[in-house]
Amino acid sequence: MMAFRGFGGFATSGLIAAAILWSFATADVELSRLMSAGPRIADFLGRMFPPDPTVMAEIKKGSAETLRIAILGSLGAVVLSVPFGILASETMVSSAVFRSIRTLLAFIRAIPLILVAMLMVGAVGLGPLPGIIAVAFHATGMLAKFYAEAIDGVSRAPIAALESAGAGPLVRLRYAIWPQMAPVVARDTIFRFELNLRESLILGIVGAGGIGFYIQTYVRSFQYDKAASVTIAVFVMVIAIEAINVALRRRFA
Amino acid sequence: MSTAIQIDDLSFAHTGADVPALERVSLNIPTGESVALLGPSGAGKTTLLALLDGRLFGWCGQISILGAPLDPDHPPMCARRPDTGFVFQEFALVERSAVLRNVLNGRLGRMSPLRALMGSPTKHDLEIARTALADCGIADLANRRVDSLSGGQRQRVAIARCLAQEPRLVLADEPVSNLDPARAGEILALLTGAAQARGATALFASHQPDLARRFAQRIIGIRCGRIAFDVPTSELNEDATAELYREVEPIPGIGLRAVS
Ligand SMILES: Nc1ncnc2c1ncn2[C@@H]1O[C@H](COP(=O)(O)OP(=O)(O)O)[C@@H](O)[C@H]1O
Ligand SMILES: [Mg+2]
Repeated sequence: MMAFRGFGGFATSGLIAAAILWSFATADVELSRLMSAGPRIADFLGRMFPPDPTVMAEIKKGSAETLRIAILGSLGAVVLSVPFGILASETMVSSAVFRSIRTLLAFIRAIPLILVAMLMVGAVGLGPLPGIIAVAFHATGMLAKFYAEAIDGVSRAPIAALESAGAGPLVRLRYAIWPQMAPVVARDTIFRFELNLRESLILGIVGAGGIGFYIQTYVRSFQYDKAASVTIAVFVMVIAIEAINVALRRRFA
Repeated sequence: MSTAIQIDDLSFAHTGADVPALERVSLNIPTGESVALLGPSGAGKTTLLALLDGRLFGWCGQISILGAPLDPDHPPMCARRPDTGFVFQEFALVERSAVLRNVLNGRLGRMSPLRALMGSPTKHDLEIARTALADCGIADLANRRVDSLSGGQRQRVAIARCLAQEPRLVLADEPVSNLDPARAGEILALLTGAAQARGATALFASHQPDLARRFAQRIIGIRCGRIAFDVPTSELNEDATAELYREVEPIPGIGLRAVS
């Protein structure tokens, strides 16, 4: 047993070492470039200063679009997550149904948002629409799972009581399950909205709308001072989201 | 006289349990009777009542409720269920909902599914719910949330919900086990009185012989899943009751091994 574990440990260390060596050997990173990366980054940051404050209009426009994408994307995710959450819950459907829906949701969660956004830009063109669709799709993977867990987490006795009184499955959902799960659903939905807002900040980089679009445009056209202003704006938004989130959490606790 | 509950040779084991919870139970309860199911904890009272309510499956034997047979493998049709009312041992109320909402939940099976889903009870439904609240002495609590109530108040809400259902058969699982003796008597009087006033049959589980004696016309003793006795209340004798509550004899050897 010990010998096996010793061998296993040795094999694991060997694999990790091999992976690192392979990456170095094939990444095309010359030592000289690596050495000069530090000064170059410093230079780059230097050229970002002072941030150019004349891009306020673009920042406002981009932030508003990001907010719209997050709101409409979240709305889409909620609309999709209600049926998928029901179909993924043990309480509401047979095991064949909830198992396959849960697998599907796990696949959806495994696809990164930025990848979905790129595909959607290809499918429906540039602008906020692909961003909204991508956020709705991506967020459903998590939100439907949360909703299903909220349904399954409620106490069973009141459901049995309504069943005994002759209420059908949807009526039981509405009067025995929903009142119990409502606070959990509110909390999870706000949590997911916060993630959506955070994640949609960068969607513009692949052309799916929002403030990320300006960062990409300014970096590509070497207007680093303007890119800096937009980056600061993103930073401020992330902090604001976090602050609102903390406040909401206090309110719900 | 018609029969409310007819049970022939009923046996049942919970999934995963190695001993049956009920063994070869047969009994017959005519319409309008108030019957107590007396037995120690673990005797099988909850199991028997849940079976009669159509919530447990995979039993053997025959059960007929209010003249219609129960299917051993499927729940009864929704349309039949409101006729059997159940008062749950742990109340089974929706804690975050108001008292009136919980009592109206008892009406859900009496409404059309659409009306139930839309949440628009008729005047009649509301009137029945309010009457049930008043009968249980909790009219003033109608708008309170259940999670702000005491145990005794919850017990009354649970009974009000059952009465609002207008059942022809009331199954009550230890409806007074959480109450002090004075309250317990009051609640059982309420439950059996309401059943009798409506011409309904009542079967309630209890582990308190004196309460069973006061409020039932007939007492069925149950022990280790078997019927130990089934007598009119006047014929209940102390020996039979004492026998019912005698400790289950340990299987020889097991106790010794546990100590060593
Ligand atoms: N869900 C269950 N799974 C397995 N065994 C159970 C379950 N519910 C009850 N039992 C067993 O069935 C027997 C009867 O229990 P119950 O009907 O609850 O008795 P009572 O209501 O008289 O106290 C007990 O031995 C109990 O342990
Ligand atoms: Mg019990």
